[in-house]
Amino acid sequence: MAETAVSCEGVSVRFTTERGTVTALDRIDLTIPRGSFLTLLGPSGCGKSTLLRVMADLIAPSGGRVAVFGGTPSSARLKREIGFVFQDPALLPWRTVLDNVTLPLEVGGGKALPGARTPQQLLELVGLNGWETAYPHELSGGMRQRVAIARALVSGPRLLLMDEPFGALDEITRDRLNEELLQVWSSTGTTIVFVTHSIYEAAFLGQQVLLLAARPGRVRELVPVTLPMPRHLGQRETPEFTALAGHLRRVLETC
Amino acid sequence: MADAFAADAEGEARFRQRRRYLAWRRRLLPIVAVVALLYAWSESIELFDIKPFIAPSPQAVAAVLYDRFGILMANLLPTAIESILGFALGNLAAVVVATVFVWRKTVEEAMFPVAVMINSIPVVAKAPILVLLLGNGMEPKIAVAAIICFFPTLVNMTRGLRDVRPEQLELMRILSARQSEVFLRIRVPNALPYLFSALKIAASTAVIGAIVGEWIGSTQGIGALILQATFNFDSPLLYATIVVGSVFSALFFGVISLVERRMLRWHTAHKE
Repeated sequence: MAETAVSCEGVSVRFTTERGTVTALDRIDLTIPRGSFLTLLGPSGCGKSTLLRVMADLIAPSGGRVAVFGGTPSSARLKREIGFVFQDPALLPWRTVLDNVTLPLEVGGGKALPGARTPQQLLELVGLNGWETAYPHELSGGMRQRVAIARALVSGPRLLLMDEPFGALDEITRDRLNEELLQVWSSTGTTIVFVTHSIYEAAFLGQQVLLLAARPGRVRELVPVTLPMPRHLGQRETPEFTALAGHLRRVLETC
Repeated sequence: MADAFAADAEGEARFRQRRRYLAWRRRLLPIVAVVALLYAWSESIELFDIKPFIAPSPQAVAAVLYDRFGILMANLLPTAIESILGFALGNLAAVVVATVFVWRKTVEEAMFPVAVMINSIPVVAKAPILVLLLGNGMEPKIAVAAIICFFPTLVNMTRGLRDVRPEQLELMRILSARQSEVFLRIRVPNALPYLFSALKIAASTAVIGAIVGEWIGSTQGIGALILQATFNFDSPLLYATIVVGSVFSALFFGVISLVERRMLRWHTAHKE
């Protein structure tokens, strides 16, 4: 178990609304190795965000078992082993960039795991040194998301969950942040689970792509990505990448 | 990012000049408008031969403001104390009640309709009730001012404490934050822009409340002076009193706006 970051056994999530009960996730089985980069890809409504939220202890599963580093998601959350990046940067507009990054050190006991980088080092890592005293409204969308990534890393989490973090950004910014994220991943050794609805993003970032089918959300296929590391944007023009993206697209069409 | 800005002294000078021009225009235009209105007022008094007990000329009002400055200030003092104390008490109570409402929804469901009912009683009807309850001193006037401030602040503050972005709450959950931390670090700062909108309304209405309170059995204060001047057909004094009351109200509003600008520098609405 030592090398497993997250394991899901028959995880189901059902929501009950006025229109009846919806099965968002149906018996998901999944093992994510420590230090790996997994992307979750699927049509909208396939429950990829729900699966991420189950790992983060934001949603309790209706059935099945989830283990994060061998314990429950809630114990992992309390130990500060989980970092989360939302689609909306969710920065606090009344705090400066630096104060946003240090928020995790101020609340909930404010623990950081051993080996965590300082806020200053993280701002440097995401290319925002010099912006410490700026307020969120002074930043561009891409910079705000960089702050959110630095904030998620400040407690030194061993699992970084990202829910379409670059979904609202323009393509050029998104490409650049994709490359930067891979650098962050290789320099921190954090396990990353990354939700996206972009085929190219999923194929470019992940070591594996988990394809989910919708209604009910279930595992369709776990696709290994054989592109060599470290990756660069030029690889997206290789025949290997095109073949992979084509495969993902064909599977998605049947989801 | 610094390299995005090239040095262009001439362009910068033009930019600064334009901004200075706009700033002065914004300051001068209202002054021009006020002077024009005063002139029109003064001319129409002469033109239509309006008697001083119907409406005074601006010159007569200015003379009263100067000659009877002492009396005007002596009457402003109690009104100012009443409205400031009423403002403080009413808003403090509203903030506390809003906190309780957000903490326990049940309390809001039970008490909010009561607050609406009390708020729907006209101020002029509340004042005599409070005079009967609290006597003839400053207390009923403070109470009227406080009650008039209470409702808008309660509504705004409750909304501000509650309308938090769901991602921010999820973030705090991931960080295993305590309820008190969510309240102090998310809800309170989030509510500040809402609170200040309410405080700016309250700054004007608190003065109205104090004056209306003084209409019901009082011998001093702006409200009392207004009644006295009306019954004596002393229109210059009436107008001068109103001017003093309005200037105080505007100053009160200005102070709150200044505090707001200092405290909400982060707020997007204050971006240049």
